[in-house]
Amino acid sequence: MGLHADYQMELDAIRQAFGYDFLALALVEPAEQQYVIRWKYATGNLNERFRRIVLKSGKGIAGMVFKTGKPVFIPSVRDYVAASSLFNYPIVQSEKLESLGAVPIWNDSRVSGVLLGGFREEDLMTPDLMFALEQAARHGIGELDGKEVASQ
Amino acid sequence: MNSPLEVGPMSPLMMKLFENSKEAIFFFDKSGRALAMNPAAEEIVSEDVLMKLYEGSENALCGTCRGYTSDTEQITCLDCYFQLPASAEHSSFQVYLETKGKGVVPYAGSFHTVDPENGTRVFMLRDLTPQLRVQEKLYQNKMMKHVIEAQENERKRLSRELHDSVAQELMSAVVDLRVLKYMTDDDTVLKKVKQTEAAMTRLLDDIRHLSVELRPAALDDFGLEAAFRSHFKRVEENYGLIIQFVSGVARKRYDSDIETVIYRICQEAVLNALKYAQVDTVSVHLFERDGMLRLEVEDEGAGFAEGSDPIGTGLGLYGMRERAELAGGSLSVQSEPGIGTRVLLQIPIAESKEEE
Repeated sequence: MGLHADYQMELDAIRQAFGYDFLALALVEPAEQQYVIRWKYATGNLNERFRRIVLKSGKGIAGMVFKTGKPVFIPSVRDYVAASSLFNYPIVQSEKLESLGAVPIWNDSRVSGVLLGGFREEDLMTPDLMFALEQAARHGIGELDGKEVASQ
Repeated sequence: MNSPLEVGPMSPLMMKLFENSKEAIFFFDKSGRALAMNPAAEEIVSEDVLMKLYEGSENALCGTCRGYTSDTEQITCLDCYFQLPASAEHSSFQVYLETKGKGVVPYAGSFHTVDPENGTRVFMLRDLTPQLRVQEKLYQNKMMKHVIEAQENERKRLSRELHDSVAQELMSAVVDLRVLKYMTDDDTVLKKVKQTEAAMTRLLDDIRHLSVELRPAALDDFGLEAAFRSHFKRVEENYGLIIQFVSGVARKRYDSDIETVIYRICQEAVLNALKYAQVDTVSVHLFERDGMLRLEVEDEGAGFAEGSDPIGTGLGLYGMRERAELAGGSLSVQSEPGIGTRVLLQIPIAESKEEE
């Protein structure tokens, strides 16, 4: 329970510091859950729909980040994805996000989670915010060390 | 213009047949000059060809005839029926005529000698357009069925292949990896192995999903209800959409064709709701009534006005209807902007199947 609170508090703090409308963290589940990736923590969410979603590596925004280990920066959702295929991005849809950024969180040289921050207004996600989000991820969250390269 | 009297006396009944028949009748003498034509015949031939026919000019009929169907070709002039000697006459064949105002029309034609002494021949034509249209429709339906069947079979093959060999092999590799745990105490190795195991487990999951998405084995092995339940669970995991499924056909099996149609249409309807209705929940109801298997997919979402421009291609609904009709069923879609959409599919189920 203590750990749970830590993650949540850290997310709340990041959200407050940067003014995100929505901030969420996806983590790999333990072996009993077949190591699936789920959204475990969120702050500023409009509903609970995101909790039901199991992320597919390589699909959707967070899936892309998880697979490639590269951040995704979307200043305008409208420019990034046509309305007809928005259903492929259920969180963007249900949380009504208009601009967002997502970064990988490393642990022990592996992508172990995805941190996604978004706004319900266009162009609020900026390169500066992107940089800050990456910094936060590199700093590590909860148990995750944030290290892309193992320190010898 | 012409007088049937030219071809000799006819009984009143024969006269009536000649004058009022819907079939075109032409009489030709042995030189190929038209002796008489009934009104139905004059109706289809253009004025100048008509003149030429009565004048008996060479190949006058060619002014309207576009060829006939031989053993080898749809439309040909090779071995023209008009030129053949009486001994080799075709009793019936398909022929194409350029008609007045209706373009090229297919006819069932017959051309034969009715008066061997004078060499008088009769050419009779019956419009084949409606029959051909029916035939074409039947053919199209048959083709469509074959295409769908081929698609389903191919999907089934790929799905089984993925499930039975690829996933199996991967599974045994994952088991091998787990065994490594008992072979070393080296922490770095164990950590690495665990990461690899996690990645491979997810890959295994992906392959299973792919297999089920192609065609759920559950549909063939356990029937509609089982296939629906696992499909809806997947939709929930992928999109967060909740599907309230009520089934009144517990563990019942139907014709594989019917099960496939219901499954595919439901899949499409749910996907439509997901794409366009902007809802969190969709309800699906599967039940039997009055010898019909019914599927209802309902949402309380955005809806649409009938006849309005579709947001998507608009082909989805068309495809659903097509599939339903091929199975002898019907599909109705009711929708109202701001209120929601309801898709109802009904497919008749054979009585004999119920007893099984």
